[in-house]
Amino acid sequence: MNVLRLAAILIVAALFAVAGCGDDDDDGGGSGASDSQAVTESRAQGDVTWCIGKDTTGAFTTVIDNFNKANPDANVELLELPESADDQRRLQIQRLRAESAQCDVLGVDVIWTAEYAAQNWLLDVSDAIERQADAFIPSTLETAKYEDKYWAFPFNTNAGFIYWRTGQDGGPKPASWEQMYQQAGDASGFIYQGARYEGLTVNFLELLYSAGGTVVDEGGSEATADSEEVRNVLTFMRDGIDSGDVPKAVTTYMEEESRRAFEGGRATYMRNWPYAYALGKDSQIADSFDVTTFPPYEGNPGAGVLGGYNLAISAFSENPEGSLAFIEFAVEPGQQEIQATEASLPAVVSEVYDMPSVKKALPFATDLRDAVEQAQPRPVSPVYPQISEAIYTNVYAALQGDKSPDQAAQDMNADIQDALETF
Amino acid sequence: MIAPRLRSLLLWIAVAAICVFCLVPFYWLINVSLKTGTDLSNADLIPPSPSLDNYSSIFENNDFTSALRNSVIITTITTALALIFGSFAAYALARLRFKFKFLILAIVLSISTFPPIAIAAPIFKLWTDIGIYNTYTGLIVPYLTFALPLAIYILASFFKEIPKELEEAALVDGATHFQAFRKVVLPLAAPGLVTAGLLTAFFVWNEFLLAVTLTSSPSAYTVPVAVANFTGSTEFEVPLGTISAASVVITIPLVVLVIVFQKRIVAGMTAGAVKG
Amino acid sequence: MEASTARLGRRWSRGGRRYGTGERRLARAMLAPSLIVMALVAAYPIGYAIWLSLNEYSVRVPGLSRFAGFDNYSEAFSSPEFWDAVTVTFLFTVISVGIELAVGLGMALAMHEAFKGRGLLRTVVLVPWAVLTVVSAITWRTIFEPNLGLAPQVLSALGLPGADVVWLGETGWSMAVMVLADVWKTAPFMALLLLAGLQVIPNDVYDAAKVDGATTLQRFRRITLPLLAPAILVALIFRTLDALRIFDLPYVLTRGANDTTTLSLLSYQELTTNRLIGYGSALSVLTFAIVMGVSFLYIRLVGGNIRSLVADER
Repeated sequence: MNVLRLAAILIVAALFAVAGCGDDDDDGGGSGASDSQAVTESRAQGDVTWCIGKDTTGAFTTVIDNFNKANPDANVELLELPESADDQRRLQIQRLRAESAQCDVLGVDVIWTAEYAAQNWLLDVSDAIERQADAFIPSTLETAKYEDKYWAFPFNTNAGFIYWRTGQDGGPKPASWEQMYQQAGDASGFIYQGARYEGLTVNFLELLYSAGGTVVDEGGSEATADSEEVRNVLTFMRDGIDSGDVPKAVTTYMEEESRRAFEGGRATYMRNWPYAYALGKDSQIADSFDVTTFPPYEGNPGAGVLGGYNLAISAFSENPEGSLAFIEFAVEPGQQEIQATEASLPAVVSEVYDMPSVKKALPFATDLRDAVEQAQPRPVSPVYPQISEAIYTNVYAALQGDKSPDQAAQDMNADIQDALETF
Repeated sequence: MIAPRLRSLLLWIAVAAICVFCLVPFYWLINVSLKTGTDLSNADLIPPSPSLDNYSSIFENNDFTSALRNSVIITTITTALALIFGSFAAYALARLRFKFKFLILAIVLSISTFPPIAIAAPIFKLWTDIGIYNTYTGLIVPYLTFALPLAIYILASFFKEIPKELEEAALVDGATHFQAFRKVVLPLAAPGLVTAGLLTAFFVWNEFLLAVTLTSSPSAYTVPVAVANFTGSTEFEVPLGTISAASVVITIPLVVLVIVFQKRIVAGMTAGAVKG
Repeated sequence: MEASTARLGRRWSRGGRRYGTGERRLARAMLAPSLIVMALVAAYPIGYAIWLSLNEYSVRVPGLSRFAGFDNYSEAFSSPEFWDAVTVTFLFTVISVGIELAVGLGMALAMHEAFKGRGLLRTVVLVPWAVLTVVSAITWRTIFEPNLGLAPQVLSALGLPGADVVWLGETGWSMAVMVLADVWKTAPFMALLLLAGLQVIPNDVYDAAKVDGATTLQRFRRITLPLLAPAILVALIFRTLDALRIFDLPYVLTRGANDTTTLSLLSYQELTTNRLIGYGSALSVLTFAIVMGVSFLYIRLVGGNIRSLVADER
């Protein structure tokens, strides 16, 4: 047969095939689509594959080994996804959209949980959570909740801190954000994550939540970003850069750049996640820095924003009960202790912070628990990525002076409203 | 006329500039690869306490060595197939007469221009259904698809440059078209083959998006995926030291490849001069 | 010799049908492997992506989708982000490819000159290209890191202006760094293609010209450039196609801030980050159409060469 004709036929056939079955995963009739399914029983048996980002310290493998030993009928395996959160999310979503049964337990960043839940990609674990809700730090449970049901178990958490230089090159412990900016101006500056990405949303919300503001209303259907509080925070952040309290370089900083600058003595104050603590203690500034929870802003107590990962069960898993059993194991205090001591992953279980081993591994453990308790989740919404984009693009424009705080607030509000009304 | 001395001087200045331009960032990479821990936070031009820790740690990492092996195998097979299939197709396009040539050329070119991000997910689904997900074949086939257009173009333009009389002479002597292709055209197009081969190899070696989409276990990872999986001790840490060390290590075989094939380029040129 | 070849030529073009069938059959056989591979692998995913672009898939209600016809496309055309991305992409492409061509040509000429250490130079030139794309982007990002990077350090050590510039934080400078990083990585590609082209130019042509008294510049303009044209064209087309689709560099360097969001980055954000499958696929198809449009423009403007690639003489 003429090769050209063959190729043409193949292409046309492919297009027909595509048009015909192009909507198989997206019609309401697909598996696991319209009714969300719940899993209530846990049975430690069968194969379970755990898909989560790189096991940097081997702590995940330890938990798996412990589980497998304690439950000979079960076999949990680790499937490591790339280190970058963006890649993890893309590869998880790719499997979920293809309804692949490859991943049973998913390591889901707190900001993806509502997204996945809204698409019926996760199993409802409300019953299982209700059974042990008291053990968890309440704020962490908020990140796993969507439309009054729980879709995941908190696994580890995270909240930001202020790092500051003590000693000669340093400054006093900050008593308020306003004061800290001023003192930074007299010393070597305050740095944070100000690049145009998710980290900026976090930094912005930390100030906004302190000020009592919100970007989305309670019901998650209306944008509330065109407010006094938002304008004030934007003005505050912008003035910080204008006056030199905050070096302009922050507009290129993500977590690592700010950490490196702080360790290199380029700043007196820094906002960063707890991970920088251990690294700082290994560096040249080991003896000349300290951490503290967020100071008050506009007279209100400081508020953090929650980070961390939840564990969820894929709606396409072939072993939901086994998956649930593994998850319940991973959040037991003993296993949480391992995560905290070996991997510096802040636990979601309250009592873990009182354990001596944890206090030794994380010297500011009590502060950490306080920070987590006062922290709030980022807006819990299936369109969170678009909301975050609306926030960080407009905050960035305000920081760069491309938009006035008023204009930025208005645009942010409009963009968020658009996001909430996405089809 | 530029005086020979001046010409020579200009040449040397040009050479020096090229070397600086190409090597400085690479030097920086080596610089970072010899630093560990806190030194990475500093910007010293020379590592204050150089150490080979990063190198030893990447080789102890089994995933990295198996990724090296996977990359070498996949790159070699893809390049070989691209050169074979590509030279056939290029010869047909450059020399033989048939209809729809331009259309085919257009389709061939368009295949390679579709943004990979949009087709990564459909290929994932298709591969999973067929069962070649997470295999060598699963990567070789798409890589071949994306490498062929460039190979075909380069080879076609090289074939076009070769005087027809040579083939015609062979045909008169009783050779078939295919024999003429094999014995006359291919050897003369050696620089084109080497060029197309190197370009294909470099594309496959560097490719990340499809590799990370279509593999899920360390036994199938290629080098870019393995490097993306290098970790610091926490979620946010970017392990510049090990990434740099891995990059330096990866560059060396590629450089060796070029040195080896250099001679082929020269040989091809001399052959052409003699015959022409 | 000439007369007989001419006679042969006439014979071949006359009994065309008998000879032609054999040629066509051979052509089919030689094209088959390539075409089949490409049809199999690319047809379904590309077809699927086009299909997706004609629909909308709800990000809030599971399983809900609707046929949207060309709505996604009209949304793109009326979106300022799309046109900004088009502008940024073209600006980057023109500047970057132009510089790469010049630098690549310079490298190729230098490599072609016969002198000692030529082999080493060829190897040196390929080093940037051997570094993984993502790693080179990360390296350039650290080189331009405020205060701590190589660039600010060198600039301040030499007392040159620019040590204080927040390169990746300013519109314009971000693009400059992106262009620099791209030129570093891909000028070797150009150089390689152009070198291969240079090497097939026979020396006698130059010798004849020298005898006729042509200067170096004249030899370059009248001999080198025209004979190099096919190689330049191939290099230009492929580099332009790649530059129009650049993703890694803006993603790693700035995440698209400061007017560096290219079409590919925008498609990625909408398709993958925002999960707007329909809209994101439409952006991908538009990117594809733009890239194809540019390549056809090349072919028409430059005319001769590509058509001559496939033109049947006689």
